[in-house]
Amino acid sequence: MQRGFRLILAALILESAGAADDGWLYYGGDQGGRHYSDASQINTENVARLQVAWIFRSGDVETFGEEMENTSGQSTPILLPEVAGGSLVYCTPFNRIIALSPESGTRRWQFDPLIDHRGDRPFRCRGVSYAEELRVAADSHCRHRIYTATHDRRLWAVDAIDGTPCTDFGEYGFVQLFGEEGYVPGDVSTTSAPVVANGIVVVGSSVIDFTRLKTPRGTVNAYDSQSGELLWQFDPLPGAPDSGGANVWAPMSVDAANGLIYLPTGAPSPDYYGVHRPGNNLYANSVVAVELATGKVRWYFQHVRHDLWDYDSPAQPVLFTWRKDGQSVPALAQLTKQGFVFVFNRLTGEPLWEITQQPVPPSLIAGEQTAVTQPKPIAPPQLLDPNLTPDQAWGITPWDKKDCARQISELVNLGNFTPLSEQLTLMFPGSLGGANWGGGALLGDTGVLLVNINNVPFSGRLIPTLKNVSPADQKQDHPGAGQRMQVTMQGSGYTVEIGALQSSLGIPCNAPPWGKVVAVDLLRGRIDWEAPLGSVHELGPINSPFQINLGTPNLGGGIATAGGLFFIGATMDRLIRAYDTASGEVLWDFELPVDATATPMTYVYKGRQYVIINAGGHHMFNRGYGDYLFAFALADKK
Amino acid sequence: MKFCSLVCVFLATAMSSYAATITVRNESGSALAQVMVSRSLVEKAALNLSDDGYTPHALSNQATTTVTRFTNAEGVVRFGDVPEAVTYRARAQGYVDVTFTRTDDDIVLAKMSAEQLIASYPSNVWLSQMTFGGDLELKKRFQLNCAFCHQQASVFMRNERTVEQWLGVFARMNGYGARLPVDEQERIAQLLQEEYRFLREHPQVVPQPRQWESHLSGVDMTEWPIGDGFSQMHDFLLHPNGNVYVGDNLFDRIYEVNPVSGKYTVYKVPHPEDARLGGILGNRFTVFPKMNNYMGVHSFAYSKKDGHIFITPSMQQALLEFNPDTKEFTTHWMPEGFYPHTIRIDQKDRVWFTLAVSSQVAMFDRSEEEFHFYDLPARSFKEAFIINALPLIFWLDPENRPIPDPDAESTGLPMPYGIDISSDGIVWATRLYANDIARIDPETEEVTMIDFPYQGPRRLRVDADDNLWIVAFQDSLLVKYDPVNERFTAYDLPVINEIPYALNVDKDRGVVWVTGNQSDTLLSFDIETENWKVYPLPRQRFFTRDIEISAKDGAVYTTNSHFPTWQSEGGQPTLLRIAPLKEVVSGKAEQ
Repeated sequence: MQRGFRLILAALILESAGAADDGWLYYGGDQGGRHYSDASQINTENVARLQVAWIFRSGDVETFGEEMENTSGQSTPILLPEVAGGSLVYCTPFNRIIALSPESGTRRWQFDPLIDHRGDRPFRCRGVSYAEELRVAADSHCRHRIYTATHDRRLWAVDAIDGTPCTDFGEYGFVQLFGEEGYVPGDVSTTSAPVVANGIVVVGSSVIDFTRLKTPRGTVNAYDSQSGELLWQFDPLPGAPDSGGANVWAPMSVDAANGLIYLPTGAPSPDYYGVHRPGNNLYANSVVAVELATGKVRWYFQHVRHDLWDYDSPAQPVLFTWRKDGQSVPALAQLTKQGFVFVFNRLTGEPLWEITQQPVPPSLIAGEQTAVTQPKPIAPPQLLDPNLTPDQAWGITPWDKKDCARQISELVNLGNFTPLSEQLTLMFPGSLGGANWGGGALLGDTGVLLVNINNVPFSGRLIPTLKNVSPADQKQDHPGAGQRMQVTMQGSGYTVEIGALQSSLGIPCNAPPWGKVVAVDLLRGRIDWEAPLGSVHELGPINSPFQINLGTPNLGGGIATAGGLFFIGATMDRLIRAYDTASGEVLWDFELPVDATATPMTYVYKGRQYVIINAGGHHMFNRGYGDYLFAFALADKK
Repeated sequence: MKFCSLVCVFLATAMSSYAATITVRNESGSALAQVMVSRSLVEKAALNLSDDGYTPHALSNQATTTVTRFTNAEGVVRFGDVPEAVTYRARAQGYVDVTFTRTDDDIVLAKMSAEQLIASYPSNVWLSQMTFGGDLELKKRFQLNCAFCHQQASVFMRNERTVEQWLGVFARMNGYGARLPVDEQERIAQLLQEEYRFLREHPQVVPQPRQWESHLSGVDMTEWPIGDGFSQMHDFLLHPNGNVYVGDNLFDRIYEVNPVSGKYTVYKVPHPEDARLGGILGNRFTVFPKMNNYMGVHSFAYSKKDGHIFITPSMQQALLEFNPDTKEFTTHWMPEGFYPHTIRIDQKDRVWFTLAVSSQVAMFDRSEEEFHFYDLPARSFKEAFIINALPLIFWLDPENRPIPDPDAESTGLPMPYGIDISSDGIVWATRLYANDIARIDPETEEVTMIDFPYQGPRRLRVDADDNLWIVAFQDSLLVKYDPVNERFTAYDLPVINEIPYALNVDKDRGVVWVTGNQSDTLLSFDIETENWKVYPLPRQRFFTRDIEISAKDGAVYTTNSHFPTWQSEGGQPTLLRIAPLKEVVSGKAEQ
């Protein structure tokens, strides 16, 4: 089939327009992850009067009880068009899909894929995707489809109107995402929503990538959106048979009109050791522009060469139009854990800000050949300050400040991209630093990107280990507060130890804010404002009656609206906040029952604007769990 | 059998090497002159690095050399005696680097885009447009305190940073030993942010770097990689025995490099068992994962009497003596003085060196095995108080020492730096922060201070006529001082906004060689004609602190001692020699 004809056909097959102005049809607001809404009914003038419109509880707490401790509520609902039922649809951590009335929050239907609960991986689901399948007759079952990829590696298609499986898709509504190796509980799962465009569903994966040298491949799969037929696969780490991972776990973006999908790839395995995977390890730690129809690479940019820091591409690429000096360029902004923002012409990969090659320190691990340089954009600036010297130690008392200064003085600390050695090394930013899967919110056409940043230092080292420790006997996920993770990287001869750099009082050793919102002007290449994100009033031995806004670690993202507001939860204080996008001032907040580690969304329904956020807690924060979906609105629509 | 082996080796060598002629053109087919072509071996020699990543004491390794030459007007460069399995890199101003292995076809270089071109410019041309809000003195203080380890407007520095991030950088650098005045840091941070932004947005104001010139096709550059990215190959010495002795300042190791064979042997400088890392200054580099500067080998000089090498260990109150025949070290402990710095030996075999922190010049009389100290005057009462209090300050534990915040004059630290001795035995020393020169007459022990009318007299050398040649660091000048007429003459450097660190004089040829650390160059100045030549170096961010000259052929040596060295292009420190190319009949170059 000729390419042009294919594109026309694809356009006919699927409705692939961006989000409706006041709707929220895609996980990231639109298929380019802008996290932006034109809705302005709620604005800086009236946001202080925002109140709860309705609350929905999924029932997971009642159904799953203590198993909820191993979950996090990360889902961002989407609002379907009226022709597809007009429901608000989201997923729970156990991949149940639930459709609600957008007006009242009452349940219309639910679908439970009855996932395999084996293994100790946390349960989470960031969202579902929608498409109209034009190859199916109008008014027929599964003309409008919801797609979700599950914890146990299945890709489901269900009818958007009644939630029943689309039997023409794969095997009774699903395809298996794993290959002949079968499903190995705890090995690979899926967290982010699949992407659907031009008749193709693309799905990534989440791979445990630091417990052994050779982990499962991070293969990206593309399927026919009607039949579930496998169309193409993309191996993000070709030519590295002794490694694995480099998987696409963060949300992907699509430029359907230009037939390109943008894959944010992760780190190769294991995260902190790479003797067995010499070279740059392409296409790990990259944003890869792939032809949606064929899976062929159009261009790529690798933001970390030979990763030894777990600097996955954590965030959905943000697609926008770069308007500067009379130019209008289809652009892509990629946020990173390092706190860098890289901006490209998304059709060619040409950088719109010069990318400099920064010399970086070598490794002391025998046989480890680090990259001599790493990329850094000439602008905008790094969104956090990686400098941390003993003089910059912070504490609430002279004693814990001194303790922190001592700890910092004993760390190997050579700045960005210092590799771990057998000595305790500063990891700042660490693997939970900078931006993460919450991505960024673009403020309309202004070129200003609002990003929530984690700003807590970690320390780590590699401990020579003669004996491999069973994965079952070690903590396998990112360390929480006060914890020091120790994981033997099977086959490497090393155990990696990582923990937060904090005083004996459990307070981070760097100056606050430890979480912040940054407004970065992509066009001018500078930071407009920064503001703390999160209050520590519930993190001490006793709760404070008032907020102490020093910032907290945060997971989840924010959204910007034409009302001049930036809504975000994400923090360890159970609050959802609305910031003034012009100044960074917090204009409104609301206390939720549990932390809301999800990205909110907004829509206008029957003339009323709603702001929705999933409040489910996060297993890493260890601050309680829940199964709430909160809707906020103005009482009088004004 | 032995003879047979030698013959076999010779034959094998002969059979496995060839001459290479390379022609470089642009995309239009025109020959490109002054293209820098670097040839490296694909297979690196196996190294014994079993001592914490370094060559063990008294053991040898073979350096895998890289040779760099430049195309002539016809775009041709020749390499004689080329081993098999080599790789070449061609680099020319305004063109994108090309690496290649085959030489039978012409090499074509593509022009850089406008963005690539401006980004490729060296630090000095960018820095030249930094005005510091019109405050030239502030700019000079910034250069004085921030440009002795780094190129200040390289890509490493030009990235957008917030003011807070700049302040974080300053805090880190002052912790390492920089002296950026505390009360000026906020302003400098703001100016760096504003002016780098301006240059990014108006790159057209950045002038072109000096163009490479035809004399380059007459030289050959050889690099011997030694140490690793954590090393700092500081000063060194070209010894009459033909070897080059290079000091790794951070690892207390001496590299004895044979430039003929490329073999090098490493000698570890001994230190007392109870010596602490970083010596009297304490470890300012605890954040580095490895460091062995108990002594801190700094500067080298040899005795014409017996060839012994004298070395200043900056981190101790001592002087090191190394016998290159027996390979034995002797440590001469000093009763006073702090931070032995640059060293020279006079005609009477007396060893002279500056004491940078205690503001003294020391003389070690070899015959009596005694030290003599010459106190240089303080600039103020406060400075005198600080200098006199040094023994007490250094008696305190390094972690609990009171360290005054640096001010604009660096009060308390006039810092005697360079030193040299004229043919009449007069000892000359510069003071970097005090902007003056000390004249010491060893016979009368008279010390005379002479105002230096420029800023930043770092290192100095005496020429064949006993004139002093001094680099004015932050003033970007080469300065001649005629002691007879007591007259200073300043010469602009041939590259804009260079910040010259060190120099040496080729007394036989009347040439002054100057380091060009901001422009990746070495600069040569013909004393008679007052003409400059510029030699681009084969690696970017090739920061050099010392120059040695071969009396035999005028070849110059320098080392790559950027701090940290991993920030140099390739991340590998090297000893570099720039030698005149030996032309033979038929135009073939042999080396």
